[in-house]
Amino acid sequence: MVQEKRILYEHLDVPNINTFDVFRQHDGYTRFEKAIAEYQPEEIADMVKEAGLKGRGGAGFSTGEKWSFVPRDIEPRYLCCNADESEPGTFSNRYVLEKNPHLLIEGILICCYAMGIETTYIYIRGEFTLGKKMLDAAIKEAYEQGYLGENVRDTGLNINIYSHPGAGAYICGEETGLIESLEGKRGQPRNKPPFPAVQGVFMKPTVVQNVETLCNLPFIVGNGVEWYTQMGPTYGDARFDPPKADPNTGTKLYCISGDVNEPGVYELELGLTCTELIEVAGGLRGEEVKAVIPGGSSAPILTQYELDTRLDFTSLTLAKSMLGSGGIIVMNETRNIVDCLLNIMKFYAHESCGQCTPCRWGTPWVRDIVQRIADGEGRQTTITRPKFGITESGRWGDTGETEEIYEDLDLLENVANNIANVDTMTWNTICVFGIAVSWPAVSYMRKFRPEFEAAIRESKLVTLPVAEATVPPEENYAYQQRIIPKEMVDLE
Amino acid sequence: MSEEIIQIETPFQFSEENKREFDELIGRYPVKEAAMLPTLHLAQRQEGYITPAVMKYVAELLELSVMKVKDVVTFYPMFFEEPVGKYVIRICHTLPCALRDCKVVLDHLKEKLGTDVASETNLAKGTTDDGKFTLMKVECLASCDVAPVIMVNDDLYKNLTPEKVDEILEQLPN
Repeated sequence: MVQEKRILYEHLDVPNINTFDVFRQHDGYTRFEKAIAEYQPEEIADMVKEAGLKGRGGAGFSTGEKWSFVPRDIEPRYLCCNADESEPGTFSNRYVLEKNPHLLIEGILICCYAMGIETTYIYIRGEFTLGKKMLDAAIKEAYEQGYLGENVRDTGLNINIYSHPGAGAYICGEETGLIESLEGKRGQPRNKPPFPAVQGVFMKPTVVQNVETLCNLPFIVGNGVEWYTQMGPTYGDARFDPPKADPNTGTKLYCISGDVNEPGVYELELGLTCTELIEVAGGLRGEEVKAVIPGGSSAPILTQYELDTRLDFTSLTLAKSMLGSGGIIVMNETRNIVDCLLNIMKFYAHESCGQCTPCRWGTPWVRDIVQRIADGEGRQTTITRPKFGITESGRWGDTGETEEIYEDLDLLENVANNIANVDTMTWNTICVFGIAVSWPAVSYMRKFRPEFEAAIRESKLVTLPVAEATVPPEENYAYQQRIIPKEMVDLE
Repeated sequence: MSEEIIQIETPFQFSEENKREFDELIGRYPVKEAAMLPTLHLAQRQEGYITPAVMKYVAELLELSVMKVKDVVTFYPMFFEEPVGKYVIRICHTLPCALRDCKVVLDHLKEKLGTDVASETNLAKGTTDDGKFTLMKVECLASCDVAPVIMVNDDLYKNLTPEKVDEILEQLPN
């Protein structure tokens, strides 16, 4: 069985680790001290790039690369820490904020030093009242100990950290939505480009990073790049010619919930399979796995045939899904996929920010269609297609073959694909919220079509046995398209 | 909404303690407008909900139009424009909680409190007659491992069953 590899969470359960003294006893702030004593700011940025750290918030974009877009000649520059954890199924940041906030502060200090940033805003979710309390106390302590404020530890650096509460809007987790919200406006995402790295908060260069990404920095600096890159797989990404090295280094805080015996956060090296993760989380609660959502509710669903998919950024992208924020939701054989989709679509219809028309109107429309199917009022039509064959009179002609079509399923796919097209990966909205809606809608429907058809046919929700409910791999378009990393090109 | 239309009976003002906190807040940002969300949180904590008087006061503090403040208040679900109960019970009903039977907890709460679930435009629907509780559904509270969960004002309660809900409700002071 795969063993947990606790790095970010190593001292999480140490009593009073939230206080400066105890954190200090566990190597606290030594990594930051090492950074200022031994490295130039640019060297730290290079280390992060070499370490192959990918953003843990959802998009999985290379952190080092993101930093390299920030113009160093424009002052001031800002760091926004994204602690607006609202993706259903994700809950790892909450524990960092509530139990070990000093680790986040140390990560921020290293980032600020590397990028020459003086002001950091931590955008913390409004509902995280305990997290904010702990974080504010830790920030206060850090100021008292001289790790924040003017002339940090006599190095001449000025670094300030402020926590900024959100107010319950999911869209503020999107980086430009977060920036708008931080500026005191409605959290409606901006058009990109310009990217936040160039024009972000207050129209200045801004680095936006997730809590987990920043918490990785002390360990990269403290233990070195070589140590860090040993964790996790590196693939030759077969989508490119010649294959491009795509590192998935480090650990990930996998949040697993739903039908497992021991839900929780497990810190593991990237690259284990779904089956292995379920085993780590105390095994399945139930008889059979029906479906697994691999990266928060926005990610396309995986079926029982896809459980060998590795849970890392590259593998899941190639499996036409995503690791996202690492929120894994497991469903057993008793779950009805139509019902689950309805729940998720209600969420998105509620959380659409209302800025772009396809999303504002499309999300409630998708929800209504799924609601209709779940209520047993799904539409089914019989159409007649012209088909040549031998007619009743024995002559060659139009046999007028009739065909049952599930009108609502076609409509569902059509509406969802017009918010964002999952096949071409283009969206008609400003931000990626659009794709976060159509990805689940279309993938649930395509991969568990028999269950949707049954609900329409029998005018009520029918939970089919797993084997019957799942579209077999031969007919599953996404399954056919996927490339499993094991079979991928080896890089020397 | 222009200032003439707003009927303000009693003007709102920060308490001295909140004013101090506000003064500290405003220094954090290069533009005043950025202090909007923390200021509104402060005001809501003092007043209970965001009244037109609060909006006018915040607008004056941040040197903005009242319309701009109203614009923000209506966007975020955590700001209330109507009075709410002393205890706001937020129940998570997103997928991971739904997989762990949050519906049982919700039905129990509805029955126990004798009220419906509030909607964002009609908070009174979910408020008990004595004004003690407001019951509302919220989206994922980021505690899926201990589902189902509720938040009562600022406190999170985990792994709920109807019995536990009874215990929690009983120990809340009047």
